[in-house]
Amino acid sequence: MKIFSLLFYVLAAHLLKADESFSSKVEPLLKERCFECHSHEAGKMKGGLSLDSKSGWVTGGDSGPAIVPGKPDESLLIQAIRYQDEEYEMPPKKQLPDAEIEILVNWVKRGAPDPRETTRPPLPNSDWWSLRKLVAPEVPGGEHPIDAFIRHKLTESKLEPTKRADQTTLARRLFVDLHGYLPTPDETESFVNDENPLAYANLVDELLVSPRYGERWARHWLDTIHFADSHGCEHDVKRPNAWRFRDYVIERLNEDVPWDRFVREQLAADVFFPEEPQLTAGLGFIAAGPLEASRAGTAPVTFDYLDRDDIVMQTMGAIVSTTASCARCHTHKFDPITQEDYYSLQAVFAGVGKGDIEYETSTEVMMLRKEMESLIAAAGSRNLSVLLQAQYGEIVSQWISDRKKNLVEWSVLTPEVFMASGGSKLSKQKDHSIFADGPIADQETYTATAQVDLKRLTAVRVEVMKDERLPMGGPGRAGNGNLHLAEVDLQWFATGSDTSVPLKIARASADFDQEGWTSAHAIDGDPVTGWAIFPRINESHHIVFELAKPIDLTTGGRLAVTLKQLHPPKHLIGRFRLSATDAEGGAAQILSSEVIEGLKKPEAQRTDGEKVILAAAALETYAKKRLGTLPPKATVYGVSSSWSHAKKLAAPQEPKVVHLLRRGDIDKPVREIAPGAISEIGHLPGRFELPDPKNESARRAALADWLIHEDNPLTWRSIVNRVWHYHFGRGLCDTPNDFGRMGSQPSHPELLNWLAVWFRDEAKGSLKKLHKLILTSETWQQASQILPNAKDSDNRLLWRMNRQRMDAEVFRDSILRLSGRLDLSMGGPGIEQFKKSQGPQATPALDYSSYDWNSPGASRRSIYRVVWRGISDPFMEALDFPDLGLLAPKRGFSVSALQSLAVFNNDFVLHGSEWLAQRVESEGGDLEAHVQRAVRLVWLRPPSASEHLGFSNYARKHGLSAFCRVLLNSNEFLFIE
Amino acid sequence: MKRRSFLWDVGGGLGGVAMAQMLTRDALGSPKPELNGGIHHPAKVKRVIQLFMTGGASPMDTFDYKPALEKLHGQKLGPKEKPEGFTAMPGALLKSPFEFKQHGESGRWVSSVFPHQAKWVDEMGFLMAMKSKTNVHGPGTYMMNSGFLLPGFPCLGAWTSYALGNLTDNLPTFVVLPDSKGLPYNQRGPFSSGFLPAVHQGTVIKAGGSNPVPNLFANERFDFANPTAERDGLALLRQMNEGHASERADDTRLESRIRSYELAAKMQLSAPEAFDLSKETELTRKSYGLDDKVTEDFGKRCLLARRLCERGTRFVQVWSGPQGAVKNWDNHGSISKELPPIAASVDQPIAALIEDLKGRGLFEDTLLIWTTEFGRTPFAQGGDGRDHNGGTFVTWMAGAGIKAGSSYGQSDDWGYQTLEGTTYCYDLHATILHLMGIDHERLTFLQNGIDRRLTDVHGHVVHDILG
Repeated sequence: MKIFSLLFYVLAAHLLKADESFSSKVEPLLKERCFECHSHEAGKMKGGLSLDSKSGWVTGGDSGPAIVPGKPDESLLIQAIRYQDEEYEMPPKKQLPDAEIEILVNWVKRGAPDPRETTRPPLPNSDWWSLRKLVAPEVPGGEHPIDAFIRHKLTESKLEPTKRADQTTLARRLFVDLHGYLPTPDETESFVNDENPLAYANLVDELLVSPRYGERWARHWLDTIHFADSHGCEHDVKRPNAWRFRDYVIERLNEDVPWDRFVREQLAADVFFPEEPQLTAGLGFIAAGPLEASRAGTAPVTFDYLDRDDIVMQTMGAIVSTTASCARCHTHKFDPITQEDYYSLQAVFAGVGKGDIEYETSTEVMMLRKEMESLIAAAGSRNLSVLLQAQYGEIVSQWISDRKKNLVEWSVLTPEVFMASGGSKLSKQKDHSIFADGPIADQETYTATAQVDLKRLTAVRVEVMKDERLPMGGPGRAGNGNLHLAEVDLQWFATGSDTSVPLKIARASADFDQEGWTSAHAIDGDPVTGWAIFPRINESHHIVFELAKPIDLTTGGRLAVTLKQLHPPKHLIGRFRLSATDAEGGAAQILSSEVIEGLKKPEAQRTDGEKVILAAAALETYAKKRLGTLPPKATVYGVSSSWSHAKKLAAPQEPKVVHLLRRGDIDKPVREIAPGAISEIGHLPGRFELPDPKNESARRAALADWLIHEDNPLTWRSIVNRVWHYHFGRGLCDTPNDFGRMGSQPSHPELLNWLAVWFRDEAKGSLKKLHKLILTSETWQQASQILPNAKDSDNRLLWRMNRQRMDAEVFRDSILRLSGRLDLSMGGPGIEQFKKSQGPQATPALDYSSYDWNSPGASRRSIYRVVWRGISDPFMEALDFPDLGLLAPKRGFSVSALQSLAVFNNDFVLHGSEWLAQRVESEGGDLEAHVQRAVRLVWLRPPSASEHLGFSNYARKHGLSAFCRVLLNSNEFLFIE
Repeated sequence: MKRRSFLWDVGGGLGGVAMAQMLTRDALGSPKPELNGGIHHPAKVKRVIQLFMTGGASPMDTFDYKPALEKLHGQKLGPKEKPEGFTAMPGALLKSPFEFKQHGESGRWVSSVFPHQAKWVDEMGFLMAMKSKTNVHGPGTYMMNSGFLLPGFPCLGAWTSYALGNLTDNLPTFVVLPDSKGLPYNQRGPFSSGFLPAVHQGTVIKAGGSNPVPNLFANERFDFANPTAERDGLALLRQMNEGHASERADDTRLESRIRSYELAAKMQLSAPEAFDLSKETELTRKSYGLDDKVTEDFGKRCLLARRLCERGTRFVQVWSGPQGAVKNWDNHGSISKELPPIAASVDQPIAALIEDLKGRGLFEDTLLIWTTEFGRTPFAQGGDGRDHNGGTFVTWMAGAGIKAGSSYGQSDDWGYQTLEGTTYCYDLHATILHLMGIDHERLTFLQNGIDRRLTDVHGHVVHDILG
């Protein structure tokens, strides 16, 4: 033995001994008992813990280091194998024999010597296709770039592309792909007969320009983000305003908004595009998923975390094809997403809740409403610089001249009897007003009677007047000068009569209404609502009560006015005066005494102050009138800081604190986490630098910036792959929402890279350009024929087109179109294609089977159906419409007896059979012609002679409707070549 | 074959039934005759009837006898703050208003609300300390059915259909019989196939309706859809589809669709008979309580469940009670007033079902499960109601593979939390799958980057109650 070995042996004897015991006893034990769930070899690191390297247990799992060397009692691993804690009993199936426990305990006691090198493979970004920097590879050939990449691979695999499909097949395929229904025979023929070499490209363009395109492709996006028209879950109630988002998606797709902008709008339209308020509808994106309303009520903390979890899952899955939610309980096992990254994504959405939000439908309306609101504010604050602007001069002078013509004459009434029921001392003033003094009761009622020296009475005015003796100058006796007039009562005592007649008040109006305390509240019969004037104290105001019909006063009598001041306590009137008028209809004019004074003066004599007062009155009236004519704000089911736990808050709320939760358990918060995204991706910092941490909208904007950054390696690959998926029935990467290590590898990574870069740089994010590029490739135009015994039988390399079964919407819309019933009206609230009745709880009962297919909207496109998340249409489900409790980036495909029963017997298909028969019959001809026509409509080809004979025989025997039913069940109809 | 690529590997030339099943079940492998129909190991159970008590059946008023509550009755010993998920502040400890007695050789305590089931305790295996992760109905109902608190995941019945396929072409594989008063919490969510193909979702059947299986027959108002037109029409359809498929050889999806119409026709022939309860003897109908308003609805559905199982339906779920807070097991207001009627509505039918299954030899390969979404608090709510409690509740199973008269787990003295032998839905589901010859860790479906399981990353087979 060489000297140095001997020396080494001597020096490291005890160490080696320990090593020996590790490799002979400890390691085999770990391997046998633990590796199944805690090793890279097994691909499992439960609880985030791996035991196949020293660093594995040193770092530990979610609960921290697994071993404290030298201290078995403090080591989680030892506690677990001793079955000390019910939650951590390892191995879970059966406790280890005592002897094995002892081996591990002794090993830990000795300091847990572990000679193993790190075996955890590094996970650099460069190691995984979707995280590599986006670089466009060179196109391997001179033809259409897509064909170049596809054929390059085919050649490598010694495969030949399939010939181009025939024109009819292409027309059918294109219509279904871009519009979501079959072409008519006329549309097909005009394409087939078009000899222009650009006929195909022209048809693609034509279809892309049509609004039908947006209606078709919107559903793809709505699937991807699990959008539905109801909450789902236990209280599955409708979201009556969710459709605004659906319309938004349709419109934006039709307008071909660039992808980066589309993403920005959906995450933070309010931040990025405040000048285009209609885009606020895009915020419906964040609220697309389910909402567990019952949990929001009883388990609010859990609710917050799970609701945000769903938003994070949706956002990251749909936009960057990343399964971030895997990191809720522990750092992602396979992708570079830490638990902290995950909670930082939750923090992005910690300031918003799902709910109905209002927004303006156009920039013009928004500007106008803002202007009118600022005019009203300027009138209130007597802001000269606004009110006296030249642009308003004409409005003001017109108003003044109109009002001068129609000034109402008020006769001030002299109170004869007046009293207060609550203890106030009332005294008559020189100007015939009544001043209140003395004790201030919680509730008070003043009654005053007066003779009215008019022929008839049309309205009564109550002035509440300022007075230096009142708090803050009045006109109320409350500490802040305010008053509350809860209810008013008018009675007429005719001369000689013992009883009074109540005078019905048609309308109340005042020169100023406090917010929430309006003149109308003084006649609503509700004692806890009323008219008030705060903050316009230290001013006189008046309220006018118009009678429902004029009262004849010629026989004489007395008016009794009762002013009830009931709520809130001690808000009493300090000084008031009564007036009456006989003016025809003019009593509604509410003008303050200052304004009336100003109006009465000739223009030249008006002071500057009076001019401002008149301008304020004129412009306030003008602005209120304009506001009344503006279209109301629209409402979308979206998110805002004014919603939390499915409830609207009185005021916006600051973002909630988000904690990293150990094992995702709300009872185990570890530390507060700031908003951010995935650090390892690296194109931007993983934690957002936000100047104001309380500004929630900045968080969403920062995430949008991170997501659509040109160097984000995922975003651009994600969208081009998603679009590819819908064109071919399968993405280049077959897991459109997961580009991680658990997802699949792309079949053509170079093509995917090239497309992503092209889409970002050349197409500038235009989906329509991407569609056109794909659809004009020869690859997409191949026939779908399957060659017997072909290599690559699942067509991964695209040597042919994939044959696809129609999805539920294409089936439905095609039947409506073929039978001439498709209603192409666009947008608006969804159509409920079911009968709705009261359910046992908040969720209604929906009956799809007794829907009347002749009711309005029944024939509209499928995209306009109300999709009830938890009770979706069983017929559509039978054709694989997805469960929208989760994201649905792909539609399933199923075949079953139940599906066939649905397609054969469902009312919709039977109606469709009748409609189709009726349409064909209405076009004239004999039965043979009807059969011929029906086949052409459904199959886009004429029947062969023998088919025609057989079909006609059937139709003759059982009727054309029965024949159409068979046609609509045929594979030739259901499958798209 | 990779699971995710099954759709694309249809060029393999499989035909007929095998293909129809393969299309929806992919690479798990078919049930193996040598494993008695299991996939991973020999199966003991071929079919399942699950009875689900909507609302949270109170354990301490039914099967979980708590003498301590009698001593501590009226004392305010519970949490001082409203726990997450409680609907109100917990009140004082509340003893059960019902008398408990021991029954059978196993000496199982059962309260007076279940006199009929009490006679069968020696057939049952009890999980006495089941726990839920939530106290909220919606998530709780999801959890007990799909193993997840959230929507979108396949339920036990759907997984079973996905794993094992059907036993007969004549009937749906997974049938759900909701309470006639309404659907449970989450509507059809608890019977969803989630991300599994739609074919695996529960077929909701209105017991006693004229058209029990949706779309089994055309609506009568369509004259042209008469039986002769249909017979000739299906023949014509077959001809059309065969012609179409002949030019598209090797696409077995086309063939599967052709076959699916034949299966549909078979179902049309067989299903009406299966749903026709008048075929049963008066004695049988009476034993299920069909002659009594109290038991009629649940009794009908238990009897229907037996008929369906007998004829090859794989999984039947019978629900007691609709969603909401009344006419189900969600007895917030008063245990003494609200529990007895709902308990009585199921008790005799369940006992009759056990007796009937035994009498017909179906107990040999049928599993019967009685469960609920969570338990109730030992603390009073209002007068003598009880609030939701995920802390502990009871599930029992009986039939094939169950150790008769066994029990596992124990709750604490109050019945507030589990004390030992805690089981979650994962363990229940793992045990049920185990009995069906399925290893719950190997029953997976790739969804959104995750190999999803019914039992998520949890689940242990509860061998203690297995025979």
